[in-house]
Amino acid sequence: MEQLILASGGCDPANDIICRPDNVIELFEFTDSLFTIGPLHFTRTVILIFLAMFIVIGLLFFGLRGKRMVPSKFGVTIESLVQFVRDEIAIGIIGPEGIKYYPWLLSLFMFVLVGNLFEITPFINFPITSRMALPLFLSLLTWVIFVFVGFKKNGLGYIGPLIWPKTVPIALRPLVGLIEFVSTFLLRPLTLAVRLFANMVAGHLMLTLLLVSGWVFLSSVGEIGIRSVIGIPWFVFGLGIFVFEIVVAILQAYIITLLSAVYVQSSVHPEH
Amino acid sequence: MEEIKSAIALVGYGLGAIGPGIGIGIVVGNAISAMARQPEAAGMVRTTMFLGIAFTEALALIGFVLFFIA
Repeated sequence: MEQLILASGGCDPANDIICRPDNVIELFEFTDSLFTIGPLHFTRTVILIFLAMFIVIGLLFFGLRGKRMVPSKFGVTIESLVQFVRDEIAIGIIGPEGIKYYPWLLSLFMFVLVGNLFEITPFINFPITSRMALPLFLSLLTWVIFVFVGFKKNGLGYIGPLIWPKTVPIALRPLVGLIEFVSTFLLRPLTLAVRLFANMVAGHLMLTLLLVSGWVFLSSVGEIGIRSVIGIPWFVFGLGIFVFEIVVAILQAYIITLLSAVYVQSSVHPEH
Repeated sequence: MEEIKSAIALVGYGLGAIGPGIGIGIVVGNAISAMARQPEAAGMVRTTMFLGIAFTEALALIGFVLFFIA
């Protein structure tokens, strides 16, 4: 029983020391669908995405419904969350005109927060943001918004100083312009998506590895006897990581919203 | 061959994580000293610190993904 079981699909625990998915494609592709409605395939991930959407709508609807003189504790929590996104992120980063982008930032923050917290929700235990399609789509949305805003606010003056910066010596301008162009238009959406995706995948893998191996050792106490106590430190370590992942889930939702606001801000005021 | 490829990818990710590790250390250390000197500016410093961390760790994250792809 010296094996660690990471993935069950296509894995023979009798032969492999560590079983892992054949390749990374599994993280990007659709798995078998549970049921199908017309052209739409519903996998577990899709159902969880819809669940996250309904949770976000429900939280905001029931949290902010009606104006009461003395709001409930739940209402105060939701209000402080909304106020945090509006005052600290939208207005604090973008400036007074950030109030225009605040509905988008709020929905981004709430959706990613709920999706990340699925990682540590019992019986779900799967962060929907650890499938590349979702963070990639969210960051492409951010990309479309900040490029559109940049061209709308500044016209060609948005891309001009970017690829031909006047403040550097003329011999360096093509090089710096190329670097700026690549980092603004290609690396920004990529790193925005990969940051969320990689953090969630890493946390999910660590939790799965530690808790499942602890459970495998402890549950096979009848076969291997006293040696199964090696599962206890695995389990304790896994629970420690569990607490750490709560912080990571909240922090990553904050960071993707903050960076989206910063990118929009750099399009609204390109010279800063 | 497959094992060697995975092992090299793992070493590559380890090497790629050195720079961002040092960078995040510098960012957080300077943010802590700034917050200790001016506690009233702690909120602004914290926001900027998260931004700096997010930009610095991008290379490590790209390395993480390359490790999977390789």
